[in-house]
Amino acid sequence: MSDLDKSIAQLKACRPIPEKDVRELCYKARELLIEEGNVVSVDAPVTICGDIHGQFHDLMELFRVGGPCPDTAYLFMGDFVDRGFYSLESFLLLLCLKVRYPDRITLIRGNHESRQITTVYGFYDECMRKYGSANVWRYCCEVFDYLALGALVMGAATDLQPTDTSTADGNSQATMPSDSDDIEIEILNSAGQVLSRFSRARQNNSQDQSQAPNPSSSPSQQTPQRNGAPGTGASASSRGSSGNPGGAVLCVHGGLSPLIDTLDKIRLLDRKQEVPHEGAMCDLLWSDPDEIDGWGLSPRGAGFLFGADIVKCFNHKNDLSLICRAHQLVMEGFKEMFDSSIVTVWSAPNYCYRCGNVAAILELGEDGSNAGYAPRANGDMNRSNGILAERQELRMGPGRRYRVFEAAPQDSRGMPAKKPVADYFL
Amino acid sequence: MATLPPASTGPADAGVKGITTQNGVWRVTTRKLPILKAEPIDKLSDELGIPIPEMIFGDNFVSISHVKTGWNLSFSAPEALDRVSKTEEGMLQVAVADEWKKTREGQEEVKQVVKPFDWSYSTDYKGRTEKGKADGNWTETNQEKDPIRNDLLTRQDPILFFDAVDLYEDELADNGIALLSIKVRVMPERMLLLSRFFLRLDGVVLRLRDTRVYIEHATNKVIRQYTAKEEKYEVVQEKLKAKRENATEAMRDANRVAPLLRTLEDRTEVFEVD
Repeated sequence: MSDLDKSIAQLKACRPIPEKDVRELCYKARELLIEEGNVVSVDAPVTICGDIHGQFHDLMELFRVGGPCPDTAYLFMGDFVDRGFYSLESFLLLLCLKVRYPDRITLIRGNHESRQITTVYGFYDECMRKYGSANVWRYCCEVFDYLALGALVMGAATDLQPTDTSTADGNSQATMPSDSDDIEIEILNSAGQVLSRFSRARQNNSQDQSQAPNPSSSPSQQTPQRNGAPGTGASASSRGSSGNPGGAVLCVHGGLSPLIDTLDKIRLLDRKQEVPHEGAMCDLLWSDPDEIDGWGLSPRGAGFLFGADIVKCFNHKNDLSLICRAHQLVMEGFKEMFDSSIVTVWSAPNYCYRCGNVAAILELGEDGSNAGYAPRANGDMNRSNGILAERQELRMGPGRRYRVFEAAPQDSRGMPAKKPVADYFL
Repeated sequence: MATLPPASTGPADAGVKGITTQNGVWRVTTRKLPILKAEPIDKLSDELGIPIPEMIFGDNFVSISHVKTGWNLSFSAPEALDRVSKTEEGMLQVAVADEWKKTREGQEEVKQVVKPFDWSYSTDYKGRTEKGKADGNWTETNQEKDPIRNDLLTRQDPILFFDAVDLYEDELADNGIALLSIKVRVMPERMLLLSRFFLRLDGVVLRLRDTRVYIEHATNKVIRQYTAKEEKYEVVQEKLKAKRENATEAMRDANRVAPLLRTLEDRTEVFEVD
């Protein structure tokens, strides 16, 4: 067993590894990450995950639901640390997997992968508590500076191959699209049972769908204004010719920036630094989509909001079919917006151990016609092409399989449930 | 509370617990459920006219009822949020706002500030009173006349009922924290409820708005004290440093910060229920 495999086994048991091993791991990780471009190219199939925030046992649940790495290829969109009790074990495990299986796991930077934020929100204190010094925190922060800012998923299938499983309620099969339909969205529970399935083609299918009894963990069911999945923007208006490979999927922690109109502009940034307070790099990690026109300034006085028109323009110009981001808590685990041109994926169930929300991961399937190989290292392929701007049609989104899961069972945590302790407050 | 308010999903009695005082005069009820789903959030946002905090426990509540008359004092998130300023008035700015604005000058594509409102979610909420069959009103008094008896509350009397209920929390896009939470404890002879709004805006300000409700079970008198406190971030930081405390850690804890803030408002009211 190699040292790395030993570290992985130890971290999987939620036990920190010795400081000298952390130093070596971080050194190897930096060597690897420095070779990656600001925007990493990733081939489908891949499973995309949102914020983890140090919820180690829920990360283990994620791997149980999504399949172990390296059998399943993963893309984590940042915010590995802070808030939860096990930021250290969570981040180091992901980093070990990255060094061990570099082509099977991609890590991009979230706004919490920063010195300033980790000092305020817990990771720094956790390292001090577990090691008695700030060294490990410092090694980790140096790795943060090398994390990519985004990832580009290529070759995702436009339609899903239906999973060969039962439905969650056992009898709603009749209302599901038959297997021969083009499936755009499928929502599964943590046992792999289908909660709902939405085909791209037929107008009324999904309407019937949403009346099928769903377990309480599924997204809410009354969205009369749409035909698509609740919590999604799926609709019969999605154009339905099958077999047409979709555009690429951009994954980024926060969102877009008014300073970035093409992917190449992201590629040109100097990312190897602490996350700045302003500028394009900051925006990519911090901004949020909102129901507005164009760009807006957050009432807080810092931070951008961007509307549907911005997303659609950006996707069109860069030949993207979808933007995948994390950064914002959503009770249902995922939330599609703006006619499914952008989705928020949230992977920390029962956030902060008390929100009671479910989490989700997003699986993108492999398109059969994909040539297969896309260069991983620096991926500067000049995808922004002025000619594309002439085309009016938006790219058809990839088939999307959401696996929704709840927090890891209490007995797997080795600590008692968080109950309020009666105190003599005044 | 004779009937429970409906929950956004599921039965109204899910997550509910409570206690009636031994003399049968008062009843305390709490409900704790997960944060709201997307649809109730959108509905609430439409009703209130402001964006909803990131963690919104919209089904949670704490209530104190007078059993005989149905008089009731309750605390819930939607009402607390309705008292947040929906205009630019009192709007704070994050620490990096000035730096931010300078570097963004000349970017014409960026329109004005989206939906100005008090995004710190500061509220002066003191609960909602429903009189039931009771007469009377809240009347102004003071701590000399109608004191909250801290001497009695610090006694280690058995706590027969205790709960801590969050109403909302927002991480202010990682610029600090805004949290409205409630604690309630019932002892054999008295009860205390504390509704606390705590704001820490990093590099800018710390703010506390406490509502305390105190009842001696043998009486029909409800004493309510509202205290608003505030201080500049750097002042608190200096005070903590002078005491050789870890400032970052201390400023996460409202109890440690409270004595370092200036009192802006302190008023006591009483309601005689009968």
